[in-house]
Amino acid sequence: MTALLLLLATASASEVTVWHSYSGAEQAALEQVADDWESTHPDDRVSLVALPFGGFDTKVDTAIPRGNGPDLFIAAHGNVAKWVLEGVIEPWTSDTTGIAPVGLDAFTVDEQLWGLPIATKSLVLLYDPSRIASPPQTTDELIAMARAETADGHYGLAYQAADPYFHAPWMHAFGAVAIDDDGTVSLDGDAQVQSFAFARRLAVDEGIAPTQPTGELVSRLYEDGDVTFVISGPWFTADLSRPVAAAPFPMVSETGLPARPYLTVDGIYQAKGAPSPELAQDLAWAIASAHGAQTRQDVGGQAVTWTATTGASPLVQTLRTQAETAIPMPTHPDISAVWEAQAYALRRVMRGSASPERAGREAQARFEQLQQKDVVEVSRSPYIAAFGVLLLGLVGMLVVRLRNPELRNELAATKWDYFWIGPAALAMIALVVTPFVLGAAVSLYAYQGGEWTFVGLSHFSDILLSRDFPITSPMSFFYTLAVTILWTVTNLTLHVSIGVALALVLREPWIRMRGMWRALLILPWAVPNYITALIWKSMFHAQYGAINKLLAIVTPGPGPVEFDWFAQFSTSFAANLATNTWLGFPFMMVVTLGALQAIPKDLEEAAEVDGAGYLTRLRHVVWPLLRPALLPAILLGSVWTFNMFNVVYLVSSGEPDGSTEILISEAYRWAFSRNNQYGYAAAYAVLIFGVLLVYSRAANRLVGRKVL
Amino acid sequence: MRAPSWVRVMLVHLVLLVVTVAALYPVLWVLKMALTPGQSFAVDPWPIPQTVTFENFAHVINTETSEGGWLFGRQLFNSLVISLSTAAVGLALSTSAAYALSRFKFVGKEAGMGAFLITQMFPGVVMLIPLYLLLDTMNLLDNLLGLVFVYATTSVPFSVWTLKGYFDTLPRELEEAAMMDGASRWQTFTQVVLPLATPALAVTGLFSFMTAWNEFILATTLVSKPEQFTLPIVLQRYVNDYNAEWGHFAAGAILVSLPVVALFFALQRYFVEGLTAGSVKG
Amino acid sequence: MATVTLDNLHKAYGETVVLDGVNVEVASGEYIVLVGPSGCGKSTLLRCIAGLETITAGELCIGGKRANERAPRDRGVAMVFQSYALYPHMTVRDNMAFALKVAKVSKKERYAQVDEAAALLELTPLLDRLPGQLSGGQRQRVAMGRAIVRRPDVFLFDEPLSNLDPALRGHMRVELKRMHRRLGATIVHVTHDQVEALTLADRIVVLDKGQVQQVGSPRDLFERPANVFVATFIGAPAMNLLPVIGEGETCRLEGLEQALPVSGTGAFTLGLRPSDMFLADSGIPGVVDVIESLGSEAMVHVTVGAHDVVVRAEEPVQVNSGDVVHLKLSTVHRFDGTTGRRLE
Ligand SMILES: Nc1ncnc2c1ncn2[C@@H]1O[C@H](COP(=O)(O)OP(=O)(O)OP(=O)(O)O)[C@@H](O)[C@H]1O
Ligand SMILES: [Mg+2]
Repeated sequence: MTALLLLLATASASEVTVWHSYSGAEQAALEQVADDWESTHPDDRVSLVALPFGGFDTKVDTAIPRGNGPDLFIAAHGNVAKWVLEGVIEPWTSDTTGIAPVGLDAFTVDEQLWGLPIATKSLVLLYDPSRIASPPQTTDELIAMARAETADGHYGLAYQAADPYFHAPWMHAFGAVAIDDDGTVSLDGDAQVQSFAFARRLAVDEGIAPTQPTGELVSRLYEDGDVTFVISGPWFTADLSRPVAAAPFPMVSETGLPARPYLTVDGIYQAKGAPSPELAQDLAWAIASAHGAQTRQDVGGQAVTWTATTGASPLVQTLRTQAETAIPMPTHPDISAVWEAQAYALRRVMRGSASPERAGREAQARFEQLQQKDVVEVSRSPYIAAFGVLLLGLVGMLVVRLRNPELRNELAATKWDYFWIGPAALAMIALVVTPFVLGAAVSLYAYQGGEWTFVGLSHFSDILLSRDFPITSPMSFFYTLAVTILWTVTNLTLHVSIGVALALVLREPWIRMRGMWRALLILPWAVPNYITALIWKSMFHAQYGAINKLLAIVTPGPGPVEFDWFAQFSTSFAANLATNTWLGFPFMMVVTLGALQAIPKDLEEAAEVDGAGYLTRLRHVVWPLLRPALLPAILLGSVWTFNMFNVVYLVSSGEPDGSTEILISEAYRWAFSRNNQYGYAAAYAVLIFGVLLVYSRAANRLVGRKVL
Repeated sequence: MRAPSWVRVMLVHLVLLVVTVAALYPVLWVLKMALTPGQSFAVDPWPIPQTVTFENFAHVINTETSEGGWLFGRQLFNSLVISLSTAAVGLALSTSAAYALSRFKFVGKEAGMGAFLITQMFPGVVMLIPLYLLLDTMNLLDNLLGLVFVYATTSVPFSVWTLKGYFDTLPRELEEAAMMDGASRWQTFTQVVLPLATPALAVTGLFSFMTAWNEFILATTLVSKPEQFTLPIVLQRYVNDYNAEWGHFAAGAILVSLPVVALFFALQRYFVEGLTAGSVKG
Repeated sequence: MATVTLDNLHKAYGETVVLDGVNVEVASGEYIVLVGPSGCGKSTLLRCIAGLETITAGELCIGGKRANERAPRDRGVAMVFQSYALYPHMTVRDNMAFALKVAKVSKKERYAQVDEAAALLELTPLLDRLPGQLSGGQRQRVAMGRAIVRRPDVFLFDEPLSNLDPALRGHMRVELKRMHRRLGATIVHVTHDQVEALTLADRIVVLDKGQVQQVGSPRDLFERPANVFVATFIGAPAMNLLPVIGEGETCRLEGLEQALPVSGTGAFTLGLRPSDMFLADSGIPGVVDVIESLGSEAMVHVTVGAHDVVVRAEEPVQVNSGDVVHLKLSTVHRFDGTTGRRLE
């Protein structure tokens, strides 16, 4: 036994675990480097873990402090400052000779290197070499060339204009920055406003670009030969079958300054508490340097930071050139708030719903709202006292009740009954109630830069008194609550009416192939909802979505319909609603079908003999009997809809301007974007629970029986 | 009742057809993307593919682990094991609880039923990290068992609700007869009540299965070993901020949905009965 | 075979009192029939004996031993439910064998006993069917069979024949009687069909509002009903009840000039069974109202004074509606005018 344990211990000690989120060629290259390293280290093994990009940061934040992390992980430098604060990474103290300084800068915090840079990424100007001989040097040239290229269905330029990351080159060329080194943000400054105006001109007014371009849309356009210039990064070329050429960004003609994109540097971090740091460092160096770098460049197409590689492709060379002028992505903790605010401004400008000046002012205001407030620590003693009194009261009540002999007798007589619900109750307490209570307790704290500060009930007072936002702003709790209620009511109305109508039809004895209809109609329920939500979102795309294409067929007049569903609250909300209705009606249909079976046929026949028509029978016979059976399902359905995160988050994502957000998705944003303000998010969650609790009590009273 | 006129019959069938097509439209689209070569998002509204290829499916199925193992098979196996165990554990926990809530009269019964439903109102957002910490304390991280426990308990409230509703409709006399026949409470439960509750068991089992089968947020957070990943985690990797491999995503989506859809079809005759009852009494 | 003793049994659901001090002693091997109007607590009493309901107060003894706290399965009783409560998912054979299976009797033994009981009840060809595939009468027999297989000391039947058509009911009554003779078991049988009660019972227990009104043999009950309730409940058509005022040798009925030839003093209730009167040339005068013919006999409704009296007559009946007739009395019953108790 001991021998076995020893064996296990040594076995795990010589395994180096590396987390990354690479896919495709980059992943293949990394695997090759790892294999090569293993062949020179016969006793050691590398375990490469490819994690989904979306959950990567959260996983690092939670796993490493608990000692469940990897030895190394590969990620961009964006979170380096945060991870230093949180203490999840170790500084890099070994030699770095041969690594480009621009990479090292990105990983330096307080004059200390916190990771080993391995590759840079930035946007570049990509173009179709079969159409353009030499790339433009200025934006005026770019616009002129693009204009010449634009003609029926073919576009001159395509890029994600409303994304702050893609906007950054222009912003920098106008002399603005997202955030200063000292954390100052001025989204309403002249330079910012000019860059917004320029972006609007480029992406909209010139008429050279498609509307609402998403990343996949841009690649599809290029793949189909429908666009000449594209602004994108090295990932763009990964699955491309057509040739593409790259050039550094042109100079912005208005200012005479070069457009400078952000530089992201991928690096290898050493997790705190790695069991064998020397071995891990050895592997990290092997990946970053010499042969490893060459492999990553040749196989993975990476612009590596190792300066001594040879034979780089033109694309990689361009990336390297661009890296020299690119500006490292800011690592200030407030940067995510800046991006949310700037994205807000860009979307408004692109849609034409605000002038650049106004959008800038609004964005600045929004940033100030999102920015982490200064936390004021409050004394815990009154809370501890209140909690103690509450606990004592509860215990007292319990004791008083237990002293009642009748109750004791009853308890004694029924004690075996508790064994029947015991397992379920214990499991629920352990894995549902406890996490929720712990999560809720977080609402009394503020989280900032890796530190928890006790703030008492101030999150609640901030939210409920709408201290940070005017009550009519989409950011306020009450606005979102109103939207959530509207969301729940409209959804339930549609689910129930469609479900009941279909069930009534399917019940008729003369319906052919009833089983087939029923089976096909419950299909939406069977497909995982995150898949269908993504599909629906794409179907609502203004230019390429199927909904608009279908509308074009039915609406008179030539030309495509390019209705922007997410530009105003009503249609954006309707898009969410359509998706969720599609997902939700089958449940109600099935429940209704069942409830209908329980209604005796002779009741209806009696009514028919009495001369009642179909609608009268429905109203006076079927509906009164159906209602009580449907009520519990409706109430439970309303609770689910109230917290239906996936649809809102994936379809409208709160657009426009966060106005279609519901409480749960808003809570998510506070927790996982906006600087991980967990405490604030937890307060939202507690309030959501409170609202639902009040709702369910009220519903029970209204219905006159306990249904929820 | 009289048979309606054929005009009405035709009209109603026509409406049914339109609604069904609308319901199937997005699904057909996924099918189209999966069968069309390339990774771009299908744009024309016609949901029938022009050229058909299975290369997207082949890609998804043939993806290898870094050690050259069969990744898809491994993950399919994980998903199956986790989902089936979730259904089993979930049913084991909830049937006896639902039966007790339906039949026994113990102190705190009303409150107990209420408590099960109240947990449906917990917003999941804040529970992720505490759950991680809890499982870590219990040494259940990176452990399929941990996932199974979490999923099974998540599915308990709805299962208890459905099953209790169903048990409420079963005639008590059968159980009394069994007790007269000498059966203990437990024997009555397992040999008389459970066989009669097949529809409700099938429905709740399927929902527990689906809870586990479709989940990826918890799975990503609680598991970090690729040999323990489930299918939805893999699917997530096809569509991210940098690039979207829609063809692979669609093929993966279909492969992920297929078992659930098959189960839906296989069990759908139980649906109407099994769920109804669940809602007749709260 | 066992005795069943109910000693001052009470059962209440919260505030509602359902059984209010029931005292009955059932001898070993006796066939007891419980009758009473709907809702009087018959099923409740049976379920108390079976152990399906807890007893609020009083004592229940089975086989001479207190059984209040004993679990149903330890009481040695078998019950046939009104709905039969056959397990729908088991075949007839498994339904009948279930009790033995639970008692861990070997499979071979089990099926041997089932076959025996099935032969007795002529169920052998149905053994492999599910309850859903049986007729009402067949189900009833399976329910019986299930009880028999257990060889209980006491059988409890809750309206076992009420779901059957009249012909089948008659047939099954005979079967029950036969079965009782063969098994010699103690049987407590609930019904509200008095023909069933009168034909099957060794003794009948009449229950009303949770209280025992009378216990006795069918003859006893018919000939000497203990009170007005029993008098009207037993016998069809029901006994005529006339409020009269006794004047020594005769008594007076309201609205009738002539005195009735029935002795008594003070106000009391006179009970006359339709079969204890006959039409004659002289006697108590009345006017024929309606005549109901039942084939071999007829019920003649006669208005006597201000009251309607039903008289049984042999067919062919010679009178017509509106005729004046005279009644002669054979047996009479007297009941206290206020308490309704029998007066001797
Ligand atoms: N669980 C209960 N709670 C309250 N009252 C009950 C309950 N069960 C029965 N009762 C009441 O007890 C009384 C007796 O019921 P029981 O079923 O014994 O009547 P019964 O004599 O069998 O009638 P029937 O001939 O109609 O079957 C009825 O008034 C009934 O309403
Ligand atoms: Mg009864």
